[in-house]
Amino acid sequence: MPEDAGGHEEALIHVAIKGETLFHIGPFAVTNSMVGTLIATVVLASLAFWVSRNASTVPGRLQSFLEFPLEFLGGVVKAQHPTRWRQIVPPILTIFLLVLVANYVGLLPGVGTIGVRVIEDGHEATVPLIRPASADLNFTLALALIAFVLFVSWGIRANGLKGYLKETFIANPPYMTPLMTPIHIVSELSRIISLSMRLFGNVFAGEILLAVMLALTFAVVPAIFLGLEAIFGAVQALVFALLTLTYITLATAGHGGGHDEAHDAPEHDADDVALRAGAH
Amino acid sequence: MEELRQVAAGLAIGLGALGPGIGLGLGVSKAMEALGRNPEASGALFVPYVLGLALTEAVAIYALVIGLLILFT
Repeated sequence: MPEDAGGHEEALIHVAIKGETLFHIGPFAVTNSMVGTLIATVVLASLAFWVSRNASTVPGRLQSFLEFPLEFLGGVVKAQHPTRWRQIVPPILTIFLLVLVANYVGLLPGVGTIGVRVIEDGHEATVPLIRPASADLNFTLALALIAFVLFVSWGIRANGLKGYLKETFIANPPYMTPLMTPIHIVSELSRIISLSMRLFGNVFAGEILLAVMLALTFAVVPAIFLGLEAIFGAVQALVFALLTLTYITLATAGHGGGHDEAHDAPEHDADDVALRAGAH
Repeated sequence: MEELRQVAAGLAIGLGALGPGIGLGLGVSKAMEALGRNPEASGALFVPYVLGLALTEAVAIYALVIGLLILFT
């Protein structure tokens, strides 16, 4: 990558904090991170197509490899939501697989190193053809917004619109409302920022780490960090999925925690609360 | 000005990594302790362990994002 440094020749590596525009389709700019997202989507879609055509009761090697995340995440979701896990598993699993594949696209050879010439602000520049999707804040922010909609809608579905609004906007001793409600709102909204920034920061820092190691050291050392990044990619995908699940659990169980929920909560909600209390 | 920016970015990530580093060490040490006392609990421990580490590490990531913002914008 050092030859990609472009304008400032003293730069060791080429670092772009946002996706770089490759070309325009009408008013839309197509960036290199979109190419990365497209690759991740194509990989996932073709794997899903293959499994749906060739699935057998006795799984082969690829099928059992693909079933492993389903079984693991399914088990985790089932332990927290004994009654509703069938509706909650698909979005959690989708987030996990998409983030995982998007992270691993960044580790493929040629990603970030194959450049194309584009016209940028009037002059010609070389930009990488593919950028891993999760090293772009747009991708992670979109996922975090989806997660936000997911756990808010689950909160509404579990407690009813009235119950959800009451939980969110009215504190338990009602005189605490002016103090607690802003904190509640900020903490709900800050989840979007923390979810998206965590994934973006991890993957982007990993990309920079790999590039720096490749520029500073010789053959074997970057390979060690590549292995490390492979672990981090899986861990970050798991973390994103598990945090979304945790937020859904918090939303479905209600926010108060300590106060008496027996008067308005249906029976399965009381179960969830008991489960949560037991888990801590 | 450019030099000051680089110093600021270095300080941001350096000081920002201090707290999460201590926190991660404490978290892992407690988890290992629990695992040593009760090895069968590893399954139940795994998800809260990963979540706790991720939430602690997020603070360092914020510092990193701030550092990158100082350096590249």
